[in-house]
Amino acid sequence: MKNAIISAFSKSFSKNRKTNAAGCHTQAQQSVDHLPKIMLIGTPNVGKSVIFNKLTGMYVTVSNYPGTTVEVSKGKGRIGNTIYGIIDTPGMYSMMPITDEERVTRNLILEEKPDVVLHVIDAKNLCRMLPMTLQLYEAGLPVILVLNVMDEAKRLGMKIDTDELERMLGIPVVATVAALNKGMDKLRERIIKHGRPAA
Amino acid sequence: MEGQLLNFRYNDKLEQAIRKMEDLLKSAYNISKREIALLLLQEDEEILDRVGRQEGERLEKIYQVIQETKQSFEQPLNYIIAMERQEWANRVTDKVVVQNTAGSSRFGEILNKLTIQPLTGIPILLLVLYFGLYKFVGVLGAGEVVDFLEGELFEGYINPWVNNLVTAYIPWKPIQELIGLDYGIITMGLRYAVAIILPIVGFFFLIFSVIEDSGYLPRLALLIDRLFKKIGLSGRAVIPMTLGFGCGTMATMVSRTLETKRERIIATFLLALTIPCSAQLGVIMSLLSGYPAAMLIWIILMLLVFLLIGYLTAKVVPGDQTNFYMEVPPLRIPKLSNVLAKTFSRMQWYFVEILPLFLLGSVIIWVGNMTGLFQKLLLLVQPILVWMDLPPETAESFVFGFFRRDYGAAGLYDLQSAGLLSPRQLVVAAATLTLFVPCVAQFTMMIKERGWKMALGMVAIIFPFAFIVGILLNALLNMLGVLA
Repeated sequence: MKNAIISAFSKSFSKNRKTNAAGCHTQAQQSVDHLPKIMLIGTPNVGKSVIFNKLTGMYVTVSNYPGTTVEVSKGKGRIGNTIYGIIDTPGMYSMMPITDEERVTRNLILEEKPDVVLHVIDAKNLCRMLPMTLQLYEAGLPVILVLNVMDEAKRLGMKIDTDELERMLGIPVVATVAALNKGMDKLRERIIKHGRPAA
Repeated sequence: MEGQLLNFRYNDKLEQAIRKMEDLLKSAYNISKREIALLLLQEDEEILDRVGRQEGERLEKIYQVIQETKQSFEQPLNYIIAMERQEWANRVTDKVVVQNTAGSSRFGEILNKLTIQPLTGIPILLLVLYFGLYKFVGVLGAGEVVDFLEGELFEGYINPWVNNLVTAYIPWKPIQELIGLDYGIITMGLRYAVAIILPIVGFFFLIFSVIEDSGYLPRLALLIDRLFKKIGLSGRAVIPMTLGFGCGTMATMVSRTLETKRERIIATFLLALTIPCSAQLGVIMSLLSGYPAAMLIWIILMLLVFLLIGYLTAKVVPGDQTNFYMEVPPLRIPKLSNVLAKTFSRMQWYFVEILPLFLLGSVIIWVGNMTGLFQKLLLLVQPILVWMDLPPETAESFVFGFFRRDYGAAGLYDLQSAGLLSPRQLVVAAATLTLFVPCVAQFTMMIKERGWKMALGMVAIIFPFAFIVGILLNALLNMLGVLA
């Protein structure tokens, strides 16, 4: 309880954070132009912003409803010996955008050359989300599949064999409970191992 | 191996079309030509545009491939592509997922159903509004905490101290008035910001963070989807609308998540007109909390205006209804650290934004008073106020409500404390101020999201509308003899 309050304070007042003058949804903005880039992609409300916060040590608003992130956040984070530019994107359901904020994300994919794409999905909805993994792969992007909120999948009685999934897909697969910091170290390991070597 | 992303292929006809397309794409793209080809086959307009610019005369051949491929299938290509992807996903999922039904959470499911079905959902909504908004924000935040900070701290200690200080050490009356006395930077600007508005929005952000993290909002969206359909919005619009109760500026920005331009226009307009922001809401609740009848009139009036204007706007703005589809996240127990972090970061954002504006507000009043401009402006507004039976002092609240909604509300709070307003005048003033133009920040956001023309047009409607409603409400209450 006490720790939670302290960490909330320090998060909220950390120097890295900038508040967006236009809205109370805090958006982070740091220049990441010359760094190798990690892009977080996935449908709304799967925990992209939580992972962004963990990887950068910054704070962007996290909520339990789809569409909290409507603008792109950028921040820096050290993983292993490399400093990466990390980009949090508004949710996206497929490579064919319907709403404005999906368009924002797709344009980002078309403009930037990410060195790692973390496709963050809600493990409970693996089946519905795999087609997007397929599309990212088809697009030639270096994808790591992140099965987030594994705890809720387990609670629903779902058992996911992630090793088998990784073998079947042929891309790295990491299971996480990002809000509780579970699996984050393994995710970092995979980023180091599979990211395109920095140019 | 089966299932491997590397080995995934669509049916032969599609693969042939993809290969043809890949050959036609000669320039460089940041993503694979295969994906570009697939998007072209699905006739993605942005991609067609981009490719058209880059490939020049080959575009014609590309269109040819699209047409040929379309003709060789009965269903639309994007459907076929999506189906084949989904079938593959199903095969993979079958291999790696074991579903064991025993583990599902019974309690969560029951609660989920209760929140969505109208019979139980509406009472739950009323409970959330009553305890969350009225009790927590209105009574505790705007009532007790503001009473303490404003009544005891500022009126009891800070203001007398500042006033004594300036009158004792500063010989010029104008400078005394700039810092202290009725409209001073400290005695009014700082007091409004720190002692009235900040605690109210703080309490609101706190309860709102709890509600949003619990996953209640998407369920509320499902619950009132049908009602919203009538006013041209889908249930999805619940999120920008409820966010509007926090801050209209932020909500206007979030209206971006709505699917059609039509919905975005309706939502922006309703946000500007009817939805009070948290500061306004809190102040209004504490103002009216002493008079349940006045409170009820205010709520019903706002609801009526919301539905009526929504309905009319939906008639005027052409377009189709969108089908409502929304990811419904699970109900979760909010994480304390996230709730607090979010509340603090929003309060911090809010405070940083309002403090300079509030201080500037008192400076502007001071300049206005010095030059006599302010009195002229007030004289301009006063005739309208007379039609509403409002005392001339309320003119200030209206003039400054334009500047900041919350500022106007805080001004009303002052008048009420001074006992200058009867219950009827209170409800008329509160209703008019709620409808009255959005604050400057929200207006700026409206311009940014909807464009100059649209934003100005909306304000041009809202401005007279608010006053007409105020005048009519007063006349009606007068006629019926309610709230003398």
